[in-house]
Amino acid sequence: MAGEGAPTWEEVARSHGRFLYTVAYRLTGNREDAEDLVQEVLLRVRRGLETYQPGSMEGWLSRIATNAFLDEVRRRRRRPEDLLPEDPDWVLPPAPGADDALAAEALPDDVQAALRRLPEDFRAAVVLCDVVGLSYQEIGEALGIPVGTVRSRIHRGRALLREGLTRA
Amino acid sequence: MSMSAHSGDLLSALLDGELTPDEEQAVRAHLSTCEQCRRELRLISEGRTLVRDLPAVDPPFGFYERMVRPRHRWARAGVAALAAGAAASVGVMALAAPREATVSPHVAQLVDAHTASASTSGDPISEITPAAAPVSFKG
Repeated sequence: MAGEGAPTWEEVARSHGRFLYTVAYRLTGNREDAEDLVQEVLLRVRRGLETYQPGSMEGWLSRIATNAFLDEVRRRRRRPEDLLPEDPDWVLPPAPGADDALAAEALPDDVQAALRRLPEDFRAAVVLCDVVGLSYQEIGEALGIPVGTVRSRIHRGRALLREGLTRA
Repeated sequence: MSMSAHSGDLLSALLDGELTPDEEQAVRAHLSTCEQCRRELRLISEGRTLVRDLPAVDPPFGFYERMVRPRHRWARAGVAALAAGAAASVGVMALAAPREATVSPHVAQLVDAHTASASTSGDPISEITPAAAPVSFKG
């Protein structure tokens, strides 16, 4: 049974559906996986509403979404046939002399594509920081990692994303 | 100069207001003398801004209403639980499956009628189908 003041999952979907879908889309990078992730989040919400503490509903939802996303990534790694196509060279440093010029008018689709090419752990930290707006402390608690690791993942994620847009 | 002499991760933390005053003072002092770190700060600041400026994304029309009829790969194991929970909600049921909701009273009446007739032994149908079986559909 849900605690006092806890919303139902239908209320969560109604009031925070767009936010949740946005986070899921930024994490997964495509609509089909985003829809699947939202479903998984709402299942976990139904099971976990009794432990919900009044506070930031969106912070709570984004923590559930990110952990469900990373759970799925780990599951797919155990089943190689399910792996998404990846660019194995992506984490290499940029070529010397790479042009710094950023398409200032970079389209959201370009940014999303660069975000999707980040290693999932970096992507999760960047999304929680720059899409959701959590503090480093909150991100560390959500992902179960030290704040120093949060800082490193966010920084490297941003750097890789920016380099990816330069290459594009 | 080794990499550790540069600000590295601290640059993102500077942008995010996540440094202590002492750390911030040290990073700013370093930036005043290090072109490499100033360039890195500019690049990650651009990356940060690009992600922060991404727009919200609307789910497909009717997405949440359709969730009572899931078919996706993810959450495969938990889908039945969600559907069962949604079925218990009259409001969601009315949205998602009005046709079934309209029909169900008639099915229940037929089951009741069949159960009553099956309780009288002797007809071939009741011998093939145990009388208790149809009753389970009412649950």
